[in-house]
Amino acid sequence: MTALIDARTIPSGTELTPDLAIIGGGPAGISLALALAGTHLKVALLESGGMGFDSAAQKMYDGSIDGVNYVALDAGRLRYLGGGTNHWGGWCRPMDAIDFAPRSWVPHSGWPFARTALDPYFARAQARVEAGPWVYDKSADVIKEPLLNIGDGGIYTSWFQFSKTRGDVLPTAFGNRYAEGLKEARNVTTYLHANITGIRLAANAQSVDHLDLATLNGKRFTVKPRWVVLACGGMENARLLLASNDVMNTGIGNQNDLVGRFFADNPVPRDVATLVSFGGPLAGCYGSNITMDDGAVVRATFAPTPDFMKKAQVAGSLTTIEQPVELDDTGRAAVVTTAIALGVDASRAKAYSLGCGMELIPDPDRRLTLTDEKDALGLPRLKLHMTIADEDFARYRRTLEEFGRQLLASKAGMLRINSHRREEWLKNMEWGHHHLGTTRMHDDPRRGVVDADSKVHGIGNMFIAGSSVFPSYGASNPTLNLIALTLRLADHLKKVTA
Amino acid sequence: MKRRAFIAGVAAIGVAVAAGLYRFTDLFVNHYPPTPYDDLLGKLVDREYAARLGKAAHQTASADALAARLRKTVPDDLKTAIGADIAAGRLSEVDGWLVPQTLMLLSALASKV
Repeated sequence: MTALIDARTIPSGTELTPDLAIIGGGPAGISLALALAGTHLKVALLESGGMGFDSAAQKMYDGSIDGVNYVALDAGRLRYLGGGTNHWGGWCRPMDAIDFAPRSWVPHSGWPFARTALDPYFARAQARVEAGPWVYDKSADVIKEPLLNIGDGGIYTSWFQFSKTRGDVLPTAFGNRYAEGLKEARNVTTYLHANITGIRLAANAQSVDHLDLATLNGKRFTVKPRWVVLACGGMENARLLLASNDVMNTGIGNQNDLVGRFFADNPVPRDVATLVSFGGPLAGCYGSNITMDDGAVVRATFAPTPDFMKKAQVAGSLTTIEQPVELDDTGRAAVVTTAIALGVDASRAKAYSLGCGMELIPDPDRRLTLTDEKDALGLPRLKLHMTIADEDFARYRRTLEEFGRQLLASKAGMLRINSHRREEWLKNMEWGHHHLGTTRMHDDPRRGVVDADSKVHGIGNMFIAGSSVFPSYGASNPTLNLIALTLRLADHLKKVTA
Repeated sequence: MKRRAFIAGVAAIGVAVAAGLYRFTDLFVNHYPPTPYDDLLGKLVDREYAARLGKAAHQTASADALAARLRKTVPDDLKTAIGADIAAGRLSEVDGWLVPQTLMLLSALASKV
């Protein structure tokens, strides 16, 4: 049993020498540490925060934004053990095979491997997020509620699952949930309040020599590992790489000016459309989470098929029912007139607002850069240049048009598109707080920061875990997927460190 | 004379009863004054709702032009026309509502008479 060590008690000047240092104690870092428990590796898990929210630690996330209105940089993430899982909603869905494929209509898309490379890891990732048995799109076969028959076409009914909640407690928060597991892992030592202030390369710039660390109470020490995994999330990974520029003046892994570029999130525009079900109220699984007999918690969503995505050149999207709404005069006229023309009884028709999680088209100009402003430990703060293109909205609109067509074809209902102008889309815009793409994966060093094994191009002993390596994003929530990817990295590390 | 008066009286009563029944069916079926477009508008079961929808379509074409266009493209069976629109993705947006193009044009016509 190893206690969690408070780095504020480590004397300045100390040098720790683990085999592997994992920087960041979020879902990727914790999953990696637990996956390596019981191996020959001596692992140090370095977490900047403690076991709970601390405003001084959180303030180190401060930064600035220009471009499209976006979530404050210190608001979309939490700097203590568990990271983003301390405030996530528990939404899980495996990315689709098409999310990994190069898509000619999506610039910069494509992973260096197919989804099948992650398939062996999804079951363990599902267990780690405690989302119950793997059901997802088989939910339709077993759910006892009547489903909206949307027929065949470009849209199909897909399913989310959810990380387990405990009464009114949020879904699995990795810090609290796995603290005991980290303590029980004899080869893993977790350091809290341990902030990395620099990743120091060897003089030949081909490997990491050591890490500089500091605590907010003034202690400074070093960690000299044989291997390093950076797992601080899509923003902090980029910041540490860019700020560690003493040997490579553009920062680590940034010889092709890619670190911090291609930042992405999943936009969540609300009330984008109104869906009318001619047959009356929809089953509960559309607007809320339903617990099935086997314990899986599921919720229905509407997704574009791969064939439709290709034909209509759209990106990923997951459209969900939000809440019941009332129709105005024109809406009632549209429903009555259309239902009569289709020969359908719409006397019980019910209307709902729709929301969506969208996939953004990768954009190199949507990027994080360093500013002259420094945090409490002297690390430069970030500036985010946020963009969302009209084309992103136009593509999703084509998906809604197909959904509306399909509802009419199946005589199940009809659809109103509520947002047309850019201002309307942006007015109701929320974000998934999914920080993606800033250290993208590509076999070609000119096009990616890490290779297919998540190793930083040109650096022999440094890897990156988490959604910052996603080169294209899909619309699925990333946590389950980044954990599967991390478990794959764990297997790779076991091999290369053997 | 008495016989003629009787027949005329019965006929008058018959007309009155028929007119009354006709108005009575207003409760169930709307009756509209005749228009030059009844061959088209007759396909709409509820012309008032259609007119409300059609008004929101903001079609600038005249009723004659709309009718001419519809007569060229709409077969006798409205359901067939609408089904073809849906299958081909010919949907029009009316205040955001996605409706089959033929139904939008018919509704627009209804709003103009």
